[in-house]
Amino acid sequence: MNLFLLGMNHRTAPIEVRERMNIAEAHLSAALTDLTRRDGILEGLILSTCNRVEVSASAEEGVDAEPVVRAFLADHHHCDLSAYERYFYAYRQHDVIAHLFRVASSLDSMIVGEPQILGQVKRAYEQARSAGALNGELHEVLLHTFFVAKRVRRETLVGASAVSVSYAAVELARKIFGDLKGKVIYVIGAGKMSELAAKHLLSSGARAVFVSHQVHGRAESLAALFKGSAIHYEDLFSTLHQADIVISSTASSEFVIRREQAERALAARKHRPVFFIDIGVPRNIDPSINTLDNAFLYDIDDLGQVVEANKKQREREAVWAEAIVQEEVQKMMRRIASRDLVPTIVALERQFEGIRESELQRFHGRLSSLNQEQMRAVDALTRGMLNKILHGPITELKNAVGAPEHGALVQLIRKIFGVAE
Amino acid sequence: MEITFAWVAAAFYALGVAYAYSEARRSRPHLPRKALGALGVGLLAHAISIASLAIVTRRFPVADIHTALSFFAFLLIIAFFLAYWRYRAPSLGLFMLPLVLLVTVISALRPDRTFESPAFRSGWLWAHVAASILGYAGFSITFAAAVMYLLQERQLKSRRPRGFYYRLPPLETCERIYYGSLLFGFPFLSAGLIMGFVDASREWHGAWEFDPKILASVLTWIVYLVLFSAYLSGIWRGRRAAYVAIFAFAILMVTFLGVSFVSGQHGYFPKLGNIP
Repeated sequence: MNLFLLGMNHRTAPIEVRERMNIAEAHLSAALTDLTRRDGILEGLILSTCNRVEVSASAEEGVDAEPVVRAFLADHHHCDLSAYERYFYAYRQHDVIAHLFRVASSLDSMIVGEPQILGQVKRAYEQARSAGALNGELHEVLLHTFFVAKRVRRETLVGASAVSVSYAAVELARKIFGDLKGKVIYVIGAGKMSELAAKHLLSSGARAVFVSHQVHGRAESLAALFKGSAIHYEDLFSTLHQADIVISSTASSEFVIRREQAERALAARKHRPVFFIDIGVPRNIDPSINTLDNAFLYDIDDLGQVVEANKKQREREAVWAEAIVQEEVQKMMRRIASRDLVPTIVALERQFEGIRESELQRFHGRLSSLNQEQMRAVDALTRGMLNKILHGPITELKNAVGAPEHGALVQLIRKIFGVAE
Repeated sequence: MEITFAWVAAAFYALGVAYAYSEARRSRPHLPRKALGALGVGLLAHAISIASLAIVTRRFPVADIHTALSFFAFLLIIAFFLAYWRYRAPSLGLFMLPLVLLVTVISALRPDRTFESPAFRSGWLWAHVAASILGYAGFSITFAAAVMYLLQERQLKSRRPRGFYYRLPPLETCERIYYGSLLFGFPFLSAGLIMGFVDASREWHGAWEFDPKILASVLTWIVYLVLFSAYLSGIWRGRRAAYVAIFAFAILMVTFLGVSFVSGQHGYFPKLGNIP
């Protein structure tokens, strides 16, 4: 295994630099062909998104891929990379695997847990595959990468909590009502934010009622757009008890919903919970409504705070995700290492046995006076010596399976004992 | 043998609780498989313990406070499994499982030779006992759901979500567990009470109505009746209903355990027994 990755992301490089290094999708195929045709390079993958540019490669054993990949990038962009030196990071061997796992699991993203990155990695994989740039270990690592990303998604909530205000509103609604199917949303006044929140809620199966001062205006067109209904402002309080969720964003300078009105609505609906979302500035809903039993009131700042808390929660979940990534890197390393291991051991044994046999051959004349039993003893003696000598290195090799230094150890042992590739 | 298996059950429950809590900081939507496995083995051992007692004594395996607790814990863990599969709320386990473990351990700390009340010769008494304990198990879940509801409600009201917000199920799920378990427990408690009355009026002599346990049971039943009807009518919902459920459960536990020390007929203990 000889993996290498050179890249930059939103943390290491500013947007101008990332733009400069970006490899346009139209040029990917040609670029991949160029990369894999270079000396020593076996496979390549180019991940180029607005937040990162990364070139991964697997190279022949003993080849240092770094200068080759650097030269490739420099040639592609017709520039001198030394000016951009400080923006790059470079990984080798198991660090490449770990990095790819982290990226695809969205642990390296600007917003941890955002779902797009996995799709981008998949697209990069497909492009590399169709360009014929994946056919060995890097390919295998990538296949496992998708498995790891899925596992992280399944076993942690790293991407689960909302990091935008409108989604946070939907999530809160779910924390109150569980399923939103059949729930009724009153949308009072119109605005970008309330429309967005309503849209997300509706896609979860809720039903909308639009309230405005002029029924034959915006409310009706919104009702038509979202397959809801429209009512006039005057009918708001006589029907408010039907609303499970109330979103308000009017320009009114007074409270649109006062405490008594909320109390009446709650009593009329037998105290089933109501979720008030106040997006208006100045506020539309009396803040003291939050102190009523079974009423939950969030204004725009509260939603912002929930988003902040969710981001922190994602970071906490990311700790578990990192543990999964580490575990999977170990697994992958073990798999690759144990595959490297068997041929090395066989080659070692064959090498030593060859030496033994040729030496016995050399001394054949001098040993001819020995009888059969003595000859057998010489055979056992030499064989025993070899086994004892080999025991150390073979045990070391086996013990190091899965450890980062295993690849280097295999190389070292092969080198010391003169075992050919 | 039944005591050995009760200890085996307790050990596996402990293992299950340990596994469940080891991943509790994680807001994963499932209990770890290892935890469920350990609890399942514990349940099996528990079943063997209770069954062997029933086979050896050739009667319903509840005759004193220890066996009653063992049976209670057994039903509680079955109720936990049912509720877990029905509502997919692993956090329910974090509230219920330690209780199961505690009750199992107490029940296993029993003397070798158990006291056997002659009252159990009556053919009906086992049904009274079984129905009552089934009711208790149902209300234990109501209690856990009420606690979960209050914690989640506080999170939502505070508008600053923290750990519990992410781990606990939606309010609506808490309410469904709450209501479902109430609906389950109430008929059993009522049936247990009625069968107890029938039995007492036939077998006991004197003013059995004034036995402390019977008085406490009637009081408990009334509290649950009020809670049940208030919930249905929508007068008490959410927070208030949750508080009452916690209060009711406290009374229930006093009735189940506490009153037994002063009640003659329900003494469970030979020295307090006053069997006619």
